[in-house]
Amino acid sequence: MANANPPVLVAQGVGHLSRNFLREVGGVFWFIINTFEETFERLQQGRVPFRAASFFRYTQRTGVDSVPLVGLVSFFLGLTMALLTGYQLQRFGTERLIPGLVAITFTRELGPLMTGIMLAARIGAAFTAELGTMQVSEEVEAIEAMGIGPLRFLVAPRMLALFFLMPCLSTVSNIAAVLASSLICKAYFSIAFPYFLDLVKDSLLIRDIITGILKSFLFGLLIAAIACYRGLTVKGGAAGVGTSTTSSVVTAITTVIGFDTLYNVIYTTFYPT
Amino acid sequence: MTTPTHMVELRDVCMQFEDKKVLDGCSLKVQPEERLVVMGQSGSGKSTLLRLILGILRANSGSIFFKQFQIAELSRRKLQRIRQHIGMVYQYSALLSSRTVRDNVALPLEELTDKSRAEIDKIIDEKLDLVGMKDSKDLLPDELSGGMRKRVALARALVLEPELLLLDEPSAGLDPVIASVIDELIISLSEKSKVTSITVTHEMESAFRIATRMAMLYQGKIIEEGEPEQFKQSKDPVVAQFISGSTEGPILEGSLDAITKK
Repeated sequence: MANANPPVLVAQGVGHLSRNFLREVGGVFWFIINTFEETFERLQQGRVPFRAASFFRYTQRTGVDSVPLVGLVSFFLGLTMALLTGYQLQRFGTERLIPGLVAITFTRELGPLMTGIMLAARIGAAFTAELGTMQVSEEVEAIEAMGIGPLRFLVAPRMLALFFLMPCLSTVSNIAAVLASSLICKAYFSIAFPYFLDLVKDSLLIRDIITGILKSFLFGLLIAAIACYRGLTVKGGAAGVGTSTTSSVVTAITTVIGFDTLYNVIYTTFYPT
Repeated sequence: MTTPTHMVELRDVCMQFEDKKVLDGCSLKVQPEERLVVMGQSGSGKSTLLRLILGILRANSGSIFFKQFQIAELSRRKLQRIRQHIGMVYQYSALLSSRTVRDNVALPLEELTDKSRAEIDKIIDEKLDLVGMKDSKDLLPDELSGGMRKRVALARALVLEPELLLLDEPSAGLDPVIASVIDELIISLSEKSKVTSITVTHEMESAFRIATRMAMLYQGKIIEEGEPEQFKQSKDPVVAQFISGSTEGPILEGSLDAITKK
């Protein structure tokens, strides 16, 4: 290999990376399909795929316990955004655009995106570490050996909890950011709260809200799938759990941002206005 | 292909992990109600054998039967149903660390049967009593010793009344007294409940105590099968060396030189 041509080496490297990337994408895709399949098979047998208590435990962890973090970060972001854009808009006498700007930006874009990033770090990491530890200590195999489907038992409740809770948390994020911008509007730009609400209502379209909600569902599914996939494919003991957890967070955040961009490109192509 | 009449049958099974050939044409038959002990060196493929019977791993070639069912040909749903007839005790117990002893033992019943909470509690009490762990119901696995964990794992494996019990190194890492307790437990369970068992171990004392029949796995093949007494008098140099624990013999040929040179 010492005499190999540099362009050949670069091509080999690119090929190797592409193959790994495609393998990972395929792995996560089949992981989601298999989880659905195992869950529906169980439903066909007339049995619940997982216990309600287990589902609600995860909704509590992913949803309710994440409200302070999501609310606080979005509140600060809303404050900053209203303040910085406000001073720029004030130069042109258009500061009454702040409420609409913050509302639309958060509802369509920043709410789902920031919530996705925060949950990938907070919940995705926890899911990967938890399942990874179970994997290396043979707990997952023991579940499988008993005749219990590990995907429907371990993955489905986590995936479903994050899928349903993401839109709720995005809404919390939107409300916190809009509330923060209303405080800035009142304090710095003399826009009273009733007028602020009128401006928000005038600028915000149902379409913006639906777009944000649909994105949130997608992000929830992706974060949970990546986190659980990484957890169940851990190799190499405690060090492997650490590596997979880091990789899970990085992959989930990159995927969320990537899908957000893709979603926006497709959306603006078909609905340009 | 003829359908076997045995509880478990392996026919010419080969299994390879990357470059390492673990099983190389391994054939084995297990009769109902017998306690077969498979012996072999560490890393010789004993645990792989159990995972193949459970369908957790897929063999590269050959066939594995549990009763009349060929494991590799079963659908996922069917395989899950078959696994409910097989109990497995792992070397490190593999108890779910976030669940109490009660919840660990209850898991198969809660997930795979329609029994009421009262019925489940009754079965759990009965099984934990059988292994002498009734008073530790509310403890977490972290709060148990190695022997206690093994006993809970045994109770969990027995909770669905399996026809076949697979035990991976049941007495490894335990003190001799607790190891004997576990062995006696396995014997009494198999006698009382008529459970067939396959135990893999390299602990000779435990192996001779449990076994009604023994098999020696060496270089991917079963090189000798027979009753414990027959094994003790084996003329096979590998079996004789393994049982005596001697450093002289074919098992360490080549590798012993490397060790002594260090």
